[in-house]
Amino acid sequence: LQLDFAARELAIKLVYYGPALSGKTTNIQAIHEAVAPAGRGRLMTLDTRDDRTLFFDLLPLHFVAGAGITVRLKLFTVPGQVIHNATRRLVLQGADGVAFIADSQKSETKANAAAFLNLRQNLKDNGLSADGIPLVIQFNKRDLPDVRSDAEIDELSAQGNEPVFKAVATRGVGVLDTFFGLLTRTWDNLEREHQLKQKFKLDRDELLGTLREQLGLTGERP
Amino acid sequence: VNETDPSIALADARRVEDLVDRAALEDVCRSFFDLFGLPIRVFASDGQLLASVHAQRALCSLVNEGERGREACSRVVGEVQARVPGDADVVHRCFSGAAYRIIPVHYDGRVLGRIVVGPYLPAEQGAPPEALLPLLPAGSELGPALADMPRVRAETAERSARHISRVLDLLLFSGHRAFLTGQLHLRSVRANYRDLRDKTERLQQAYDKLKELDRLKSNFLATMSHELRTPLTSIIGYSEMLLSGIGGELAGEHREFVQVIRRKGENLLELIANLLDMSKFEQNRLDLADEPVQVGALIDDVLGTVAPLAQKRGVSVDALVDPALPAIRGDGARLRQVFQNLIDNALKFTPRGGRVSVRGERAPLAPARGEAGDAGLVLMMAPSEGLRITVSDTGRGIPEAEHGRIFDAFYQVDGSATREHGGTGLGLSIVKRIVEAHAGTIHVESRPGEGARFIVELPLERAS
Repeated sequence: LQLDFAARELAIKLVYYGPALSGKTTNIQAIHEAVAPAGRGRLMTLDTRDDRTLFFDLLPLHFVAGAGITVRLKLFTVPGQVIHNATRRLVLQGADGVAFIADSQKSETKANAAAFLNLRQNLKDNGLSADGIPLVIQFNKRDLPDVRSDAEIDELSAQGNEPVFKAVATRGVGVLDTFFGLLTRTWDNLEREHQLKQKFKLDRDELLGTLREQLGLTGERP
Repeated sequence: VNETDPSIALADARRVEDLVDRAALEDVCRSFFDLFGLPIRVFASDGQLLASVHAQRALCSLVNEGERGREACSRVVGEVQARVPGDADVVHRCFSGAAYRIIPVHYDGRVLGRIVVGPYLPAEQGAPPEALLPLLPAGSELGPALADMPRVRAETAERSARHISRVLDLLLFSGHRAFLTGQLHLRSVRANYRDLRDKTERLQQAYDKLKELDRLKSNFLATMSHELRTPLTSIIGYSEMLLSGIGGELAGEHREFVQVIRRKGENLLELIANLLDMSKFEQNRLDLADEPVQVGALIDDVLGTVAPLAQKRGVSVDALVDPALPAIRGDGARLRQVFQNLIDNALKFTPRGGRVSVRGERAPLAPARGEAGDAGLVLMMAPSEGLRITVSDTGRGIPEAEHGRIFDAFYQVDGSATREHGGTGLGLSIVKRIVEAHAGTIHVESRPGEGARFIVELPLERAS
């Protein structure tokens, strides 16, 4: 979180994490498409020739909340491939919330777990903790055959701490739910740490409402 | 680790001049000027001039000739420079009727600076404002000055403003992207370097510890071998005394038992000697004599000692050693150990009815060093001459995968052979070290079921 009282600005960093090819970039591409042009910057992708993320993708969003505060949201993805760990750790620096994009295919179960362990380690190396940072989990690629069943995911997520979303990011399904879920959780955490309501007269629900309205995201309910 | 520079962590861009190369910005302005004929300036958000391409117009020169005109002109220029647009363009009018268009530079929802296009005369502008005339020097010709000013329709002004806005936006985006890529690349290389350095340090520590342990092990072996040998010498000595009858004649079975004690004692002594040799080799403490050695004579001698055993086992031994083999320089006792060991092994692993052959000949040696393509190959790989001693047997042979490992200390191809034949697994390892200490080589050629050939090559002259 970056607070700039003089400029009446606050910037929030959200990171999309997960194993290679789980659809992190597809998620923020879908958000980019959904958001009205006035509220977004260019989607910046740093990828290799085969469309694999090399450093990160970045989607900057901004809107003016009540009381004239400019809220900047920076959505980052990390490169999923194992060898890019140093870059993942760097991108994770200063994150206010993390969306973990898991691949629903049964064959990817181990890769999901390995990427999550990697997230925990990198959070720790950045002086953060997986228990402390706002986290949501998305099971992506629900449209593929041989995926983990809804029942199984529901049962396990009921026992876990984080909200779990299901998505087909290539069709935009569940992407905004995940985004708003992450933003809600992140905001609540920032509110606890920084008393934003008191300092900026910013209320969460009002803020999310403004966000939906200004970014043209009123179509989908959270 | 926690370096949360907002320009990286949040990809925060606040200054045009951080994202765009000044010279490139100037080039873009030049191109805009050439295309539209409109003067253009780019200012940072703090008012700093970043790029400027313009030409002095006759009307402006005329105005600036008089003192009042000069004052009025610089007042307008000051106003234009100080005017900060909001979200949309603003048009600032000069007393001359000319206009300046001030275009905000937006990036990522922030205004990072402004572009000022002008002065130009709006095409819609009719006669010059009356306020202009008193500011001009008396008798000025206004007509040519007005004709020299670029005339622009409002729509064209709007379109050219959008154009330069978009071009600059693209420049900012590309610059930002390049900045982030460079920074992140640099930082990940640095982080990777740190990780590798830490890992190397840990490996080095582990390696040092292992090396120390290895040294301790060798010390321990040397000490223990020495300490074991002393009482063992007494055991062998006393059994020999018993056998020689010093303590009175031994009855049949007593003699047999004492003989076993002595034989096993000697086996044990040999084993300990091998261990001691190994530890000396490992600590590079083995001193080799440097004397003329007749290898042919050594082999004859060894064959003489193994003949009774060979006969007992029903293995025939034949030797074909060139009688004209020249002497080499080295340690005779150690080289004898080499051939003794190889021939003992051959006997050990050859079944009844089999054959052990020993060949000794002069032979050109393959150069030990050098690979095709090495510099100075022809000089370094001049052929050298040496002795080749081959010990072959008709035993069970050695699988190819084991060829490299049989010379490792304590390695044995097949544990069952050891139980059957005895041995410590040190023999070949010591053999190899002795041969190498004489600048020679040893290798094995064998396939399972077809016996084994051990080939020792010793150079006639050792390179200094």
